[in-house]
Amino acid sequence: MDIRFESAGASFGPRVAVEPLTLSLTENRLGVIGLNGSGKTTFARMINGLMKPTTGKVLVNGRDTRDEKTALADVGFIFQLPQNQIILPIVKDDIAFGLKGRGLTKAEIDRKVELVLARFNAKELAARRAHELSGGELQIAALCSVLATGPDILILDEPTNQLDLRNRALVQKTIDGLEENVVVITHDLELISGFERVLLFHEGKLAADAPAAQAIARYKELAA
Amino acid sequence: MQSLYVEGNSALHRISPRAKIFALFLLGFVLFLSNNLLLLAVVMLLTVLIYRSVGMPLKESAGRLKPIFLTIAFVAFVTLIVNPWHQAFATLLRLTGLMLFAAAVTATTTIAQFMDEITTLVRPLERTGWVRADDVGLAVGLVLRFVPEIIARYHAISEAHAARGLKLRPTTILTPLIILTLRDADNVAAAIDARGIRRHVS
Amino acid sequence: MSTRDLVLTALFAAIIVALGLLPPIYVGIVAVPITAQSLGVMMAGVVLGAKRGSIAVLIVIALVAMNLPVLSGGRGGMTALVAPTSGFLYGWVFAAFVTGFLSERLVNANQSGLVQTVSFFLAAVIGGIFVLYPFGIVFAAIVADVTLQKAFLGSFFYIPGDVIKAFVAALVGRAVMVGYPLLPVRI
Repeated sequence: MDIRFESAGASFGPRVAVEPLTLSLTENRLGVIGLNGSGKTTFARMINGLMKPTTGKVLVNGRDTRDEKTALADVGFIFQLPQNQIILPIVKDDIAFGLKGRGLTKAEIDRKVELVLARFNAKELAARRAHELSGGELQIAALCSVLATGPDILILDEPTNQLDLRNRALVQKTIDGLEENVVVITHDLELISGFERVLLFHEGKLAADAPAAQAIARYKELAA
Repeated sequence: MQSLYVEGNSALHRISPRAKIFALFLLGFVLFLSNNLLLLAVVMLLTVLIYRSVGMPLKESAGRLKPIFLTIAFVAFVTLIVNPWHQAFATLLRLTGLMLFAAAVTATTTIAQFMDEITTLVRPLERTGWVRADDVGLAVGLVLRFVPEIIARYHAISEAHAARGLKLRPTTILTPLIILTLRDADNVAAAIDARGIRRHVS
Repeated sequence: MSTRDLVLTALFAAIIVALGLLPPIYVGIVAVPITAQSLGVMMAGVVLGAKRGSIAVLIVIALVAMNLPVLSGGRGGMTALVAPTSGFLYGWVFAAFVTGFLSERLVNANQSGLVQTVSFFLAAVIGGIFVLYPFGIVFAAIVADVTLQKAFLGSFFYIPGDVIKAFVAALVGRAVMVGYPLLPVRI
């Protein structure tokens, strides 16, 4: 992936959530950890443009996130609460809805929906009602919806937070199998334990930028 | 939620939704302009035939009409008290004819067809900048998606009341129901925006 | 309309639909059962304001038009749009708008709880009864072929129930304002 922070920081009024940072992210797997309120969530939202930098700029694949129309296209975002991401009653309709307005015919859309579901062995989810799915199934469905449009970077914001053990294992296995560039923000340290690069945020600043083992060790020190 | 559509292949199923709705309005117009009992009776009988042509089994087609007929009977009864009998009878014929045709249209048109009609209807209004046709489909989908969640939440709140030995009062149940549901709005909106679904809106 | 507003509106429409599917709520010591759907319309106004409240109702009407049995009692489709009582359905849009309009202007965060509740009550009564009833009455008079006076007298039966609903809407409006204020307050 190609994400660049150029003295990019974010504040909510007087409160600084993320101090200006200059970073270049190119790895295929990136973890982001930190205590609640450390700025890791804001940082994640700066990558897909949900949060615009109040200072500096963020470039994704060379495009400025403040230019909404082009930047968002390359970045998919999975949120913490699975049930709030599927917005239509039936899973396949939800996936198809995200493909509207791109000049595709109905047949082409249906094909893409099929393909993305097959990719995650989730074909049986297609006709299911979102209301009846478990947390893990909802996250898989959300993954399908987000990946159907073909982003090359995927951000997952605490994807296993609300899940029980079985669903958690399912989501971990799925994430491990993703070819896309993946950024995972999480408290669930096992998810990122094998990542080549992990960023540790603390009070809005970057407290560590290292391979997983070191970042996690530093996190444990800070959290004590 | 089950729609009121009934599978079938009758003539009415194959006519375009627009034509059917137009016919309904036309029928309403004709029925309400006329006071001729004979005409009204004939039209009403025609609508009975049309309704039966939809092809539902007798029991089901009668079952669907029960609530409607209850209303009509009530209205007819009331009008009989306040109006001369032939006027009340005319009302009965009118309402029955109109409702039967409306029920026939309802049974032979799918949600998707209605959705398309509404979207087409709304599209010319996009120019005023007040509404986007695609937003209508999204709004409808969101409602259908979240109604079961809201009902589940209601039951959860009820249970919490029972567990604390509290009686269900409007403020103690409706307030949390509304607040919890509307709080979800921010998350859902963020998910929608992150997927670029309403890209045309700034 | 911002995405957030669109979602708020759709979610409230979902609340109105859900209220039509849920059992009636009991009010007061005497336990008067109230069917909550029309209460939902008043609440749309006091919680979301004029624009979003009325659009929430429009979405509900669109669902009815689309053949879904979303009105309490499982009613929907074309029959619900041309019935003698349909005037009240169309009137709901204006009722929610007026209730919302008045709520936005009469209520603000600096008032005492009592003043807020009374203001919401006024907004709900004016919108939910004085604005709504003419629509219902005129439509019913035309469809049932009775004089306006008779239709007007017939509507009196429902007024006490609606006044209770307005009271409940006011209480809930106030409680929601304390817990999660959404009303776009205008001076």
